[in-house]
Amino acid sequence: MSKKPKAAIFDFAGCEGDELQIANLEEQLLDLLNIVEVVSFREVMTEHSDDYDIAFIEGSVTRDHDAERLKRIRDNADIVVAIGACATIGGINSIRNTQDHEEVKQRVYGDKGDMFESWDKAKAVDAVIDVDYKVHGCPIDRDEFLHVVKSLVMGKEPNIPDYPVCVECKLNENVCAFERDEFCVGPVTRAGCDACCVNEGTICWGCRGLIDNPNEDAHMEVLEEYGLTPEEVMKKFSLYFNWQEEAREDE
Amino acid sequence: MKIIDKEDLDSFVADMIEKGEKEVVGVQEKGHKYAFQELKRAEDLRLDYDVTMLPPKKYFMPQREDLLEYEKDEDLSLEGVNEVVPRIIIGIHPYDLIAIEQMDRVFSDTYEDEHYLKKRKESVLIGVNMQEVSEWSFAASMGTATTDYGYDLMLTDLGDRYAIEIGSSKGSDLLERYCVDLKEAKSEDIESVEREKEKIKESFEKEFEFSPESLPWLMEQGYEKKEFWEEHAEDCYSCGSCNLVCPTCYCFDVQDISDLSLGGGKRTRKWDGCLLESFAVVASGENFREERSERYRHRYMRKGKYLYDMFGDIACVGCGRCSSHCVPDIADPTVVFNELMEEVR
Repeated sequence: MSKKPKAAIFDFAGCEGDELQIANLEEQLLDLLNIVEVVSFREVMTEHSDDYDIAFIEGSVTRDHDAERLKRIRDNADIVVAIGACATIGGINSIRNTQDHEEVKQRVYGDKGDMFESWDKAKAVDAVIDVDYKVHGCPIDRDEFLHVVKSLVMGKEPNIPDYPVCVECKLNENVCAFERDEFCVGPVTRAGCDACCVNEGTICWGCRGLIDNPNEDAHMEVLEEYGLTPEEVMKKFSLYFNWQEEAREDE
Repeated sequence: MKIIDKEDLDSFVADMIEKGEKEVVGVQEKGHKYAFQELKRAEDLRLDYDVTMLPPKKYFMPQREDLLEYEKDEDLSLEGVNEVVPRIIIGIHPYDLIAIEQMDRVFSDTYEDEHYLKKRKESVLIGVNMQEVSEWSFAASMGTATTDYGYDLMLTDLGDRYAIEIGSSKGSDLLERYCVDLKEAKSEDIESVEREKEKIKESFEKEFEFSPESLPWLMEQGYEKKEFWEEHAEDCYSCGSCNLVCPTCYCFDVQDISDLSLGGGKRTRKWDGCLLESFAVVASGENFREERSERYRHRYMRKGKYLYDMFGDIACVGCGRCSSHCVPDIADPTVVFNELMEEVR
């Protein structure tokens, strides 16, 4: 890769929260700009160029127009990095994937639904183009984003955990949600967030997606044993995991 | 043996905190559980706890620690980093003291790990005999419900007063420095302490149905029982919780973390666990323990045989943390080892 790689940041269906995390790097931003040249970043700059080495993609893919634009980005970039849950795992956009599409459109657009093109399923970026790396989370963790950028500039493989959030809860000596009579999906969710939600006394909702080899059967059994109905269990899993579940079933 | 009134023990602890010559750590409530944490007020100390979430090992081998800093200009310069905070740790149960003894061996046997050893050397350990027993613990089976070694001072609750056994000059120095009102123990105090210790040994609900001394033999026999391990590991999350809360697990992962200039950075280590899927992955991508059941079995092999073969210790002290933290409840060593014994017999 050239001495100072060119980077571009693009957004699709999402809340731009991950881009905001990058903009919020504040005192580290100048150091970051010493190692990459940002040529496109709609949220914070007006300039744009199609000449870039690394493309960061936020948001999920929901229509043909998105897919075409993504393919152009893939052609331009050497490395494509999906950032944030919508891009990496479909995110909360894919809650609707198991719902009736006409009802969804009606709920959002009322009687103007026909004016908007939209697939009946929101998809992760790697459902449409090849993705080289993923920065997980809703939103992304700024330090992990920097770790990925540094690794790519140095030509190293980024180190993204493939173990459950339980690891980080143990390291932080958190009282387990299950011991507080609460239920979380931490045992099947990819760590890397430092268990930030549980550290604050809540639960893990699964925003970083399933680990590569989750023991979902065991976790569903456990949730039911702890008194959740099958519907409640499915709800726990559908906040963030819908797209991944479908992709796994298709395999 | 010395005797101290309970209120005098409070002022002993308060004095150590106030003088601040070493950081004072004690068992405190965290949520409805317990944890070793820095003690700011003597009254927060809970010597009547059952078990802490993490063992006190974290003060000698922190969850995450920096090993060295590097800077790369024309040459590479390296500087070792070892953040040592001298500490007085109050309220360690016997099983944890015995686990620390084992860790002392692990970190000095073939290689002197100065990050562990310096922290360990700068610490004073004040033990306490159990007043509450965790429902998951089986320390009596492991011979770790009480101990005659491993502490600098050892406390036993005798109602309105504590008995103090002295284990080292580190301990007696502490008494001299901070404690004003000590009495010599009378023969009935010494008998009371012995009675308390006997009582503790009878307080465990969980137990081994055989002597733990035969664990190395059992594990050798049980290694090939593939179906047994597959069945027991079926609900395993591979979350490593059993490893991470264990007082005798010591595996770590080393990583270099570059700073944003890309010219320098630091080398760090972080706790790792053999139940995690990526634990035995090597550079070529090969995973030496790919199956859940292989990783699950490996932990029991370590506890019951491998570490015994290396150091002569059964590497389980019966604290019950692994089973109490296991959400699908498949990590209870008394269940696994007892059932394996049935299978092998």
